[in-house]
Amino acid sequence: MTAVNRRVFLARTAAITAAAAAGAAALPAAASAWSGRTPKFGDGAYVKPRPEAISDPTELTVAEAAWMIRYGKLKPADIVEAYLARIGRFDGVYRAFNTVLADEARAAAKAAGRKRQTTPLHGIPLAIKDNYWTAGVRTTANSFLFQDFVPPYDATPVAKLRASGAIVLGKTQMGPLATTRATTPDGRVTTVNAWTPGNPATDPGGSSTGTATSVAGRMAASGTGTQTGGSITAPSNAQNLTGLKPTMGRVSLAGIIPLSYTRDHPGPLARDAKDAAIMLTAMAGEDPADPRTQGLPPLPDLIEAATPVVAKGRCRVRRRTRVGVLPGYASTATRQTFLSTLDGITDVSLVDVAFPDQWDLLTGNDFNNVRLPERSEPFLPYLRTDLRGFGVSVTGWLQGALMGGTEFITGQRAKLLLLERVLDQIFEKCDVVVQTSPVPFDILGLPEIGFPIGFTTTGVPVGTILGGAPTRRTASWPS
Amino acid sequence: MAVTPPTDAELNTMIRARLASLGIDLDQLPAGTTADPVTGSPGRDSVLASLRSFVRGSVTALASFQMPAPAGSDPAHAAALSQQPAPLLYPSISTEWRR
Repeated sequence: MTAVNRRVFLARTAAITAAAAAGAAALPAAASAWSGRTPKFGDGAYVKPRPEAISDPTELTVAEAAWMIRYGKLKPADIVEAYLARIGRFDGVYRAFNTVLADEARAAAKAAGRKRQTTPLHGIPLAIKDNYWTAGVRTTANSFLFQDFVPPYDATPVAKLRASGAIVLGKTQMGPLATTRATTPDGRVTTVNAWTPGNPATDPGGSSTGTATSVAGRMAASGTGTQTGGSITAPSNAQNLTGLKPTMGRVSLAGIIPLSYTRDHPGPLARDAKDAAIMLTAMAGEDPADPRTQGLPPLPDLIEAATPVVAKGRCRVRRRTRVGVLPGYASTATRQTFLSTLDGITDVSLVDVAFPDQWDLLTGNDFNNVRLPERSEPFLPYLRTDLRGFGVSVTGWLQGALMGGTEFITGQRAKLLLLERVLDQIFEKCDVVVQTSPVPFDILGLPEIGFPIGFTTTGVPVGTILGGAPTRRTASWPS
Repeated sequence: MAVTPPTDAELNTMIRARLASLGIDLDQLPAGTTADPVTGSPGRDSVLASLRSFVRGSVTALASFQMPAPAGSDPAHAAALSQQPAPLLYPSISTEWRR
């Protein structure tokens, strides 16, 4: 039996009391909240800051802030105050947060300042997407349906981040029920791209929009998102961030408001690969409350994987890596430059790979729609009583309710067929593959990393996505 | 013999009946095509049009998909199709079971 950490127990007890007061006592037992060991982080998770970042704590990456705390050059309270000041100054325009937990963050930072640092997340302020349950704090998924919902305990990934010492700075604005870019539940645009705050028309990426904008706008050190159809990689690509969508099951979904349970993936949106590795290391792991997390291979050393290897002044990969290039990928100058840069790295080779058989059909809209009954089934009580409460998103939930079991099962068989073709026809020829769309790998639960590769002529970030086989990380990838 | 495709009116009846069998009443939505001014939810005629398109598109496409016959079997015999691989909700996780 897992021992219950006293601090977690006390926090949970307080949260249950608060939740009961708010009328949430009929929720699942708080005993399902995670309480386990925190992971170990190597010295590579602490990075000496760039000189230009030292004067402003919000410029520091998580790894740099961790180094500053380790060597007594910065206190968690200083970091929290710096971020709160930026939020106060800019979030009226960015609208990244729907709840800022200033008092709670200050108290947590003060407490962290009295404790010994044991992880790189100690005292680091994070932005949490508002579909992650947070104990005693309103969790809306940006929907009318959850507008007054106060969970009794933290979602497992939030509990794990807190157990690693991280501070929840606030909850972030998101697409209604994780469907689109962040808007109000009735469809009016809220959150802007941090790179073009004066132009709401620039796509900030969805649905983890608020997290992306908060991290890119230096209003949080890092943050969490969820991806069902590109919602970690798309906002990361749109806002010059690194987003990790892990293999299904790497991170527990317990305590996250569902969209499509076979495709919802929690993961980090971060300043760079090292920060994404730190975040995912903290978030990942088996959880008794989510059987999908059990029986997977051990998590590789992501911190090491994200640490650049430099030989004779040049960055190189750790082992020979074949990068698959799908037809049509090199359709822009930025992508062509990216491929050329890759090709120049020692031990990287580019390999043209064809789309697997029936790719367009098996990854297209009709087959992708087999996910929709997963939306409807857990929401049937709401569909029966409050259709208007779904706001602009209601149609997808009704579509799911219309699909019959026969078509649903055919769609599940087709997913396995698609996976076998991806493994046989793509990953027999390469180790990782550039993605033309995140959706096929979301369908299959395969890992993806989104990262920046340049800017448009108007200064808007451009990113790309690499995908891998199940549970395979970009272990050979330079930072 | 080819099945005659359903008309809009037939689909509307089917959609309403199917949803009603689940306890869902489309009349919760505003009449016509105008969205609800408070929540933004679309009007029921707009939703019905979208749902008809969904049935004619995605439901039909999935229902008409024929999985490849298992290796070594005669695809002309439907019996072979009963031996298709079992459907899996989580194909990526399942690779660990099948190593």
